[in-house]
Amino acid sequence: MIQLKALILKEFKEAFRDKRALLVAMSMAIMTPIMIFAMSKMMIKEMVSTPAIYVKVSGAEYAPKLIDTLKKENVQLFTDVPNEDKVLWDERNIQMEIPDSFAQDMLDGKTIDIILRTDYSDKAMNSPMRRIKGAVRGYSRVIGYKRLMVRGIDMRLLQPVKLIEQDTAVPNSSAVFITLILGMYLLMVAFMSGLSVAIDSSAGERERNVLEMLLCQPVNTLKIVLAKLFCASTIAFIAILLTLILTSISVGFVDLTKIGATFSLDAYTVIVLLILLTPLCLFASALQLFVSFQAKSFKEAQSTVTMIIMLPAMIPVILMFIDDKPKWLDWLPVSGQSMLIEDVFKGLPVNWLAVATTSLITLVLTAGLAKILAIRLRSEKVVLSLS
Amino acid sequence: MIEVNNLHKTFTSGKDKVVALDGLSFTAKDGEITGILGPNGAGKTTCLRTLYGLLKADEGSAKIDGINVSEQALLARKQLGIFPDKFGLYERLTAYEQIDYFASIHGLQGTTKHQAIETILNDLEMQELAHRKTAGFSQGQRMKVTLAQALVHQPKNFVLDEPTRGLDVMSTRILRNYLSRFKAKGHCILFSSHVMQEVAALCDRVIIVADGKLAAQGTPQELCDLAGEALLEDAFVKLIGSDEGVAA
Repeated sequence: MIQLKALILKEFKEAFRDKRALLVAMSMAIMTPIMIFAMSKMMIKEMVSTPAIYVKVSGAEYAPKLIDTLKKENVQLFTDVPNEDKVLWDERNIQMEIPDSFAQDMLDGKTIDIILRTDYSDKAMNSPMRRIKGAVRGYSRVIGYKRLMVRGIDMRLLQPVKLIEQDTAVPNSSAVFITLILGMYLLMVAFMSGLSVAIDSSAGERERNVLEMLLCQPVNTLKIVLAKLFCASTIAFIAILLTLILTSISVGFVDLTKIGATFSLDAYTVIVLLILLTPLCLFASALQLFVSFQAKSFKEAQSTVTMIIMLPAMIPVILMFIDDKPKWLDWLPVSGQSMLIEDVFKGLPVNWLAVATTSLITLVLTAGLAKILAIRLRSEKVVLSLS
Repeated sequence: MIEVNNLHKTFTSGKDKVVALDGLSFTAKDGEITGILGPNGAGKTTCLRTLYGLLKADEGSAKIDGINVSEQALLARKQLGIFPDKFGLYERLTAYEQIDYFASIHGLQGTTKHQAIETILNDLEMQELAHRKTAGFSQGQRMKVTLAQALVHQPKNFVLDEPTRGLDVMSTRILRNYLSRFKAKGHCILFSSHVMQEVAALCDRVIIVADGKLAAQGTPQELCDLAGEALLEDAFVKLIGSDEGVAA
């Protein structure tokens, strides 16, 4: 016990005195809320306001009323574009062709073909195109309805079935983008924040020739591993706590009600998240220690451990593409937590059985890694690679 | 007391086989300073690492105070103070904290621990260094810290792998005085070195290792007589049968 206490104390002293590494570890936590704040601000702006769109219209003079309707929706002619936006809209190159027979065809009741041309694969065009299409359709519908009314036909005949949609989503879940980002970030923080400490206390110590000295001491290697594991995962835990606190503060500054969404991190949610993520912090640190103890140098450890960080980033994305998720995915580390975090953010009741199962499996795997690592540290291979 | 009995150790990597120890036996007695001499690659470090229990011998045994290292490594290490071949320091800790750390690992606590640390700090004249972080320490200061952390628990047996490397005259003298005092108290000291004058001046017995085997042993004078040379250095070269590695 004296030994374990001394080992842990020393790890913490070293970790907290390396200010730069600690700052890097916490930077994820500080970055997340700032990013979420900035992204939600931007998204709200995009969703709420209707910025001007400039379209290169040929034959505008043939359909002045259509052009007026478009202008009401803030869809302007390219000839009116202000100088500072000229290059941008020239590049976006939205073209509309109005045939010269527009007025005559309208009079004859023929269908008029208006061509809308742009690069549809460009994501930035989604919103402008939607607005242009909506405006043209609206204009077309109004004329159509008027034609029927003039002929004494009830417009309701055009709509035999009317679909009424009702959203059962809990109010919280409409802030999907925040929860999506935050969920993934929390997993990333669990994996990234303990990283520098884990590498420094394993591969770093080997490189600084202090590991041999320690291995010569009358101390069980399992205690050495546990002390390092405890320290690295604590740093990760602190980072997660910091992320949650800062996020709940920063989200308060964004007026989500503008887009009809609410998002709040109440104490209960925070506690559930912490319960979910704590075993993951331990697992991540164990994995990092395991890999970096095998590495011959600090550099090698860094490049190999980077692969591990890909895990939390990749798994939630892969999960999104699997529609029929096999049951065992619920139990594995990372994927299990990822799905549970999603549920928590959706405002669904917490499935405590699933929480207990994933946590237990994660902890068992962590213990297994620690045990194997302790045995490996006693092997001659490790000693021989010391020099 | 450190007993090494018929140690064999072969390293294999792929098809290559390197025989590091080939039946090495010697005894380092309590109350004596035993020097271990040998050219580079003779198997000194392998032998010492087997003694720490870091490596397992293929054959033979190493015993510290009668405890077999390969069977009870942790217990055997408790009887040892180790000054390793390559030593590093925890540069973010102060000298005092490092010594404290190793004292705790050896199971010391409370006032016993503080007294032990104070004693070793006084003995090695490093009070001034004690509360400075070890980053930027000179080679001599680093050696002192390493020595202090190896000896803070007052082990019965010391193993020092080239402790005087890179030390100035003053530090070497402190070390020598310290080792002599410990010898007088009945401790067993085993140390390897390349500096012949030092071995000649300090050691009661010298063990010469070559090719993983014991080449000769005795007091420095006995070895000189055995080889028929006046200087230990010449005797050493003659006894190992080549002048290879002596320059190192």
